[in-house]
Amino acid sequence: MILYKLSSVTKIKSGKKILDNISCEIDKGKIFVIMGPSGSGKTTLLRLLNRLEDPSEGEMFFNGEDIKKIDVRELRKKVAMVFQIPLLFGEKAVDNILYPAKLYKIEVNPEEVIELVGLKRDILNQKIDSVSVGQAQRIAIARSLVLNPDVLLLDEPTSALDFSSKIEIENLIKDLNKNLGISIIFVTHDLEQAKRMGDRAVLIVEGKKIEEGSIPEMFENPRSSELKKFLKGELK
Amino acid sequence: MIKVFIAGGLVAIAIILAFIQKIGIVKDLSFGAVRSFIQLIAVGYIIQFVFDLKGVLYQSLLLFIMVLIASYTSRGRAKKSPHAFLLSLISIFTGTFITLGVMLLMRIITTEPKFLIPLGGMIIGNTMNAVSIFLERFYNEFKERKNLIEVFLSLGASPREASKELVKKSVKTAMIPITNIMKIVGIIQLPGAMTGMILAGASPLEAAKIQIIVIYMLSASVAIAISLLALISYRFYFTPSAALRL
Ligand SMILES: Nc1ncnc2c1ncn2[C@@H]1O[C@H](COP(=O)(O)OP(=O)(O)OP(=O)(O)O)[C@@H](O)[C@H]1O
Ligand SMILES: [Mg+2]
Repeated sequence: MILYKLSSVTKIKSGKKILDNISCEIDKGKIFVIMGPSGSGKTTLLRLLNRLEDPSEGEMFFNGEDIKKIDVRELRKKVAMVFQIPLLFGEKAVDNILYPAKLYKIEVNPEEVIELVGLKRDILNQKIDSVSVGQAQRIAIARSLVLNPDVLLLDEPTSALDFSSKIEIENLIKDLNKNLGISIIFVTHDLEQAKRMGDRAVLIVEGKKIEEGSIPEMFENPRSSELKKFLKGELK
Repeated sequence: MIKVFIAGGLVAIAIILAFIQKIGIVKDLSFGAVRSFIQLIAVGYIIQFVFDLKGVLYQSLLLFIMVLIASYTSRGRAKKSPHAFLLSLISIFTGTFITLGVMLLMRIITTEPKFLIPLGGMIIGNTMNAVSIFLERFYNEFKERKNLIEVFLSLGASPREASKELVKKSVKTAMIPITNIMKIVGIIQLPGAMTGMILAGASPLEAAKIQIIVIYMLSASVAIAISLLALISYRFYFTPSAALRL
């Protein structure tokens, strides 16, 4: 089953081509990795998927439907997003869990949600400025799970974390994919992380799609010279 | 006129004293004295001219020009705020129009120029201040909180919900000057209009009554203009699909 289909998507910002004629398909239920050097357009590509931005040209389909025809609130209910730097709001951690539930007028059990991301219940009443960055990122993930999304978009969610929290978050994301069946679309410029996490990947360089395939295939038999360079760490 | 010259003589004595004591305010003081003389005489003539404009149409036209100038000034202060001129125009106009209109309908004031023009001027001036504070504050807060607003949007918030807190904050800030005036009026400072009326021979109670009306009109107009901005201004920061306009 195809989750997203992008056809000839171009994004121009202040006269500059940020994404250049990208076509690709993303499968449902898998972990899809968007890789590329810094400034290559990964974040921009991810932001198209929940319509925080729209393409300048080209078409996008979500579950076979033209993404522009889907009510954006419905889309964002199904497609949750986790940002690079976890920004919490309100006074206590629990406010972050209650907010989306209130928006959509649904019931939520904050304790259940917070345990889902491997945190203890008592963190719910902790002041937001007293939680660690790793905990904040987990709370941000918990917050994005409240609406039972089909898809989770993550933009380098571990770049602000130390190695052990990084591995923990990676495992958490893999569990969410395996146990809850949530499709994961994951941005990283960390090769090892892509290898540990992903089923399939796409490499973006300077806004262009260079290569796409399954992770083992791409890492063992890179076709393009850019991917070869990227794997050697020569593209930064 | 002779009184003016006597008062002017006092300023001259002050200037001479300052000159003798070399305190370096001679230039400022003499310039100031001449400048305020010219300004006030000019304004006197202009107001005399306006008071001769008996027709409501002329007065309305003059008020509208004042609203336009105020909107332009407000835009100048909140330069980067999107559509600052249009938003200022709509909100200042509405606040002024409604308050003056209600006062006229209730027969608290009449269409004589001595009411409409100075009152209108005060209303427009105070409303303009609040409006430009609101626009500037909202723009700056928004710019600073862009990432947080995107968090709200990605959790399914509508533009209105996502900017609710910022709107509230900006409303509060914009209302500070007028609420401060309401708090201290009469205690720390007698407003100019009231002082003038008492000097011109009105009873202090009469002057107070007029002043209360003026203050209420000012705050009503400010409140109307700011509520209107709270309802519409944030919309210009979002696309129809609830994304930030970058
Ligand atoms: N509003 C804008 N106007 C012009 N250029 C922009 C704008 N926003 C982003 N860019 C540029 O677009 C390019 C892609 O940005 P993007 O954030 O998508 O990159 P990225 O791959 O996520 O990078 P990183 O790994 O550093 O996060 C960058 O060169 C960036 O400078
Ligand atoms: Mg990025």
